[in-house]
Amino acid sequence: MQKKLIVAIVIAIIAVSAIVAGWQLTNVPSADARPIKIGLVAGYQLAEGQDMDRAAKLAVQEINDAGGVYVADWHTSVDIQLVKIDTENDSPDNSLGPVTQAVEEEHVDMLIGGYTSSGTLTNQKVAIDNRVPYIITGASSSLVTRRGPQANYGNLPEGDPLRVDDAEGMSYMFHYCTTTADYSKTVVNFFADAMKPLLDSTYGFDDSRNLRLAILYRNDAFGKGVAADSKSIIEDSNLPIDVVAERNYPTDAISFQTDLTAIKEAKPDAVYVVDFVANTAEIIREGQKDVGLNTMYIAVECCEDPKFYNLLGEYGTDQLLESKFAPYAGPPYYVEAIGTYVTNYQQKYDTLPGMMGADTYDAFYIAKDAIERAGTVDKASVRATIESCSMDQMLVLTETGKIEFSTGTDYHEIAPVTFIEQLVWNADVQECRSVIVYPATAPGVDSLKQADFVLPEGYAPGSP
Amino acid sequence: MKRTLVNSLDSMKRGVANFSRSQKFYFIIAAMAIVAILPIFLSKYVVSEVLTPMIIFALYASSWNLLASSGQGSLGHAAFLGIGGFVSALIAIKSGVPPILGLLLGSLLSAAIGFLIGLTCVRLKAWFLAMVTFGFSVIIVTIFAELDDFTGAVLGFPTPLIVDRGLPFYYLTFAIATISIFTMYLVMKSKIGLAFKAIHQNELEAKMVGINTAKYRLIAFVISTFFAGLAGGLFAYSIRYIQVSVFDPYYSFLPLMIAVIGGLGTIEGPIIGSVIIVSIDKYLPRIDPLLGGLIGQEGLIPLFPAVSNVGPPIRMLGLGLFLIVVVIFAPKGVTPLIKKAYNYLRSSPQEEKLK
Amino acid sequence: MITSGLIQALLWGVASGCIYILLATGLNIIFGVMKLVNFAHGQLLMIGAYIAFTVTTALGLNAYLAILVAMGSVALLGVGLERFTFRKVLGTDKLNEIFVSLGLIYVFENAAILLWGNTAQQIPSPLEGNQLFLGQVSIGYDRVIAILVVIAILFALFLLLKKTKIGLAMRATSQKSTASMLMGVNIEKIYIVTFALGAALAGAAGALYGIIFNFNPTIGALPTIKAFAIIIIGGLGSIPGAVIGGLLYGIAENTAVYFLGGTWQDAIAFTLLIVVLAIRPTGIFGEKGE
Repeated sequence: MQKKLIVAIVIAIIAVSAIVAGWQLTNVPSADARPIKIGLVAGYQLAEGQDMDRAAKLAVQEINDAGGVYVADWHTSVDIQLVKIDTENDSPDNSLGPVTQAVEEEHVDMLIGGYTSSGTLTNQKVAIDNRVPYIITGASSSLVTRRGPQANYGNLPEGDPLRVDDAEGMSYMFHYCTTTADYSKTVVNFFADAMKPLLDSTYGFDDSRNLRLAILYRNDAFGKGVAADSKSIIEDSNLPIDVVAERNYPTDAISFQTDLTAIKEAKPDAVYVVDFVANTAEIIREGQKDVGLNTMYIAVECCEDPKFYNLLGEYGTDQLLESKFAPYAGPPYYVEAIGTYVTNYQQKYDTLPGMMGADTYDAFYIAKDAIERAGTVDKASVRATIESCSMDQMLVLTETGKIEFSTGTDYHEIAPVTFIEQLVWNADVQECRSVIVYPATAPGVDSLKQADFVLPEGYAPGSP
Repeated sequence: MKRTLVNSLDSMKRGVANFSRSQKFYFIIAAMAIVAILPIFLSKYVVSEVLTPMIIFALYASSWNLLASSGQGSLGHAAFLGIGGFVSALIAIKSGVPPILGLLLGSLLSAAIGFLIGLTCVRLKAWFLAMVTFGFSVIIVTIFAELDDFTGAVLGFPTPLIVDRGLPFYYLTFAIATISIFTMYLVMKSKIGLAFKAIHQNELEAKMVGINTAKYRLIAFVISTFFAGLAGGLFAYSIRYIQVSVFDPYYSFLPLMIAVIGGLGTIEGPIIGSVIIVSIDKYLPRIDPLLGGLIGQEGLIPLFPAVSNVGPPIRMLGLGLFLIVVVIFAPKGVTPLIKKAYNYLRSSPQEEKLK
Repeated sequence: MITSGLIQALLWGVASGCIYILLATGLNIIFGVMKLVNFAHGQLLMIGAYIAFTVTTALGLNAYLAILVAMGSVALLGVGLERFTFRKVLGTDKLNEIFVSLGLIYVFENAAILLWGNTAQQIPSPLEGNQLFLGQVSIGYDRVIAILVVIAILFALFLLLKKTKIGLAMRATSQKSTASMLMGVNIEKIYIVTFALGAALAGAAGALYGIIFNFNPTIGALPTIKAFAIIIIGGLGSIPGAVIGGLLYGIAENTAVYFLGGTWQDAIAFTLLIVVLAIRPTGIFGEKGE
């Protein structure tokens, strides 16, 4: 009897030990565990690149402070290690080398960033060839994900060198950003839906009178892309808009009075300015101050930057800004996450965030989500989980309220919501601040619109 | 004209004969062997993103150097780098010509345009020529941008594959550059090169001894822009993309910096200069962690609150200072200093005693 | 077709031409007396703009008084430049001046980036927004003041060169430097004064530029080219030539943009330059003093 008891106890002890040992083994952090290397592709010579850098560092710090990213394969959470990839001015010749180094020598697990279209189209080749997931948070050209077979080569003609045949490689590219088509669409629709009715009612115009639009843009891929997209959307959607003037200037132009004078003579109702912060601010100032073109100016979303408000001064009052991220339209903010981000950013860097950083910030959280759902840093698995991402929207609003990458012909793009803000003078800070005036709502946001759109003081429409 | 050509070829032949007997010859053979074999042991990144650019820019700077040796300091050589790049790529893509032939055609067209520009420059003094050449590089950007529908220059486009990246492309570049630089060496050592030197020294005197300065200046332009175009084609194939950024003033100043720092007028100057400048470009940012973040967050950044990335401005400022210091204190470039150091290290104790 | 828009463009041409005149005159003086060509001259304009900006924003100084501060500081900088770089290469290979200029361009641009950052800035002016109306066209008071300032500076320069002893020495040196030396003119002192003067003019141009346009560290390059184009058209070494050339250039630039669109803005300058040089390699009015 005693012998049996002893045997039973021994067996029990062995069994329990085995179970405990087995349990311990499956949960011991793997020896392979290491920080996740994410390369940030940004041009540090540019203000936008610095904004991306700050946003990235903030996201990485937040994620790491909260415990890091849990990788099931390694049974543990690991930190994200930010690998800086400085493409200087982000021209093609300067962006290939650093990205190649990051992929081939530092073996980054993922890439986030990309700013200019040309630079990104160049450096993404490395990621395509090496099968590295690349969440592109800049680059207004949709070709960065649409140049492959999945999107019918972006309608590029056969033989065009920009086409990429490597479908598998292209599947690693993701575009978390607005394209020139996205924001042109919002702008021209705003003119048709909101501005034209207001003009008609204020000045007693006949409904058949089309809105007179002038486009003034910088002569590079970005400016030309927006101008072309705007015109084609107007045509395709049969909008009641006439493009009465279209002028461009070299990218290093400093004075725009002559172009503005020519536009003034074409008598527009509104001027769509396509350029970055410094030039757009200069155009809006010169237009009103020197040329006497007291019309409605609308700037592109890349002007959503502290410097823009600073350079505009009072001349920004009642002018328009198309945007997808509005750190100046509040508090209270249309989405709580924005308030949190702005506060944290300001606390850490003593300046307000710009637009480029917002996409980058979100992208790091997308990366975290994808790796955790994949349970591994294996690039192919992570690629698949990015593609199946279904997170709630963060700083960038989407048409579905969720972050989802399309697998249709708008391959691996999200459907961002862009809106129109109007600038109002804020005597406290002696600068303009913004309020959202269009559209009224967006999914996931009860009400987007913060104020009614008004015509500026001293506004004069083009000729009837 | 024919007599000049025959004379030049003759002197070139003699030049080659003399050269192969000199000690320098063996040194160069050794150096070339190293350059040929070493890359096999290095990573693909270093071969394609560090060594290959060194060779391409050595070729580019040599072409500029040849022009400068005739007293014509061009500030717009990027125009020809870009023309060569665009034409090579466009011809290969649009008419299905093999890319290597595209390289040749690009260089020829670059030389043709160089001839035209040279024509406007033959009677100009140094400063005017500098302005005109710079001006031309600005005009060419506008032309390419206006013809965007044909050139695709504004967004740019990928260049066709000539040979695989890494070692194959490296060897191709090495071969082409060696032949080109050797050709330029022969030219500079020949009577033509002598005429260049004479014109550089004092154009008036050269005219007085009967040298047709206009003709030789034009020859310099054509040869120089041919090889600049060739370098441009190689450059476009090496970064596998071409766009208007290739016309950036930086690429006009680069060959100047390389040639002057390396040693203006010499053959080894642009080569050594290229090694130095490309090394600085690629490796200075990486010294940062070694210096314990000196050029980073904790070190210099607090001194410059207006900039978040102090590296590139400091590097460019340093290069500017380097250039000025070389021109003022070592006008023959860095190479003679290296030679002196090398000789000093090589000299035996007996020689030392005798000194 | 003379529209009010065209007249407006002409008016602006005059205003921007004035800034170019200052720059070109400075270059001209330096070339006339020292036979030196400084491609980094536009950088002095840029530094002038930044210095004016700093004293205006940090010390609250009036933007127009800041012009004087800018002139003085840049003049000092010019003295340093002459003493430590250009003097060393004067007399050596002509190409060396070009090389040194290039190095200076990199040094100044990047020093400015390090000190002030590379985002755009603007000098706040007390007269901002006020317009002078002349019939159908208008011109900002800032631009009118710029024109007046330039006229004042040129007049002062004229008095200096024609009426003072040092002006006489400068003119003598520009004619024949060897003969001047034999007559007891201290060449080194003349060089310093000349360069300082040229730099001061660039500084003034920069301060005016910063009030009218927004600026950043890279704006120096293009004005230099335009100043050279003006000198070449007006004649190297000729001050009246620079004035006429500057006005013509400013007007031509704006008119071209009006008719052809902004893209050809820079190319116009160079095409004009190349055409003029192809026809007359020494410029329209020819060279003085060589």
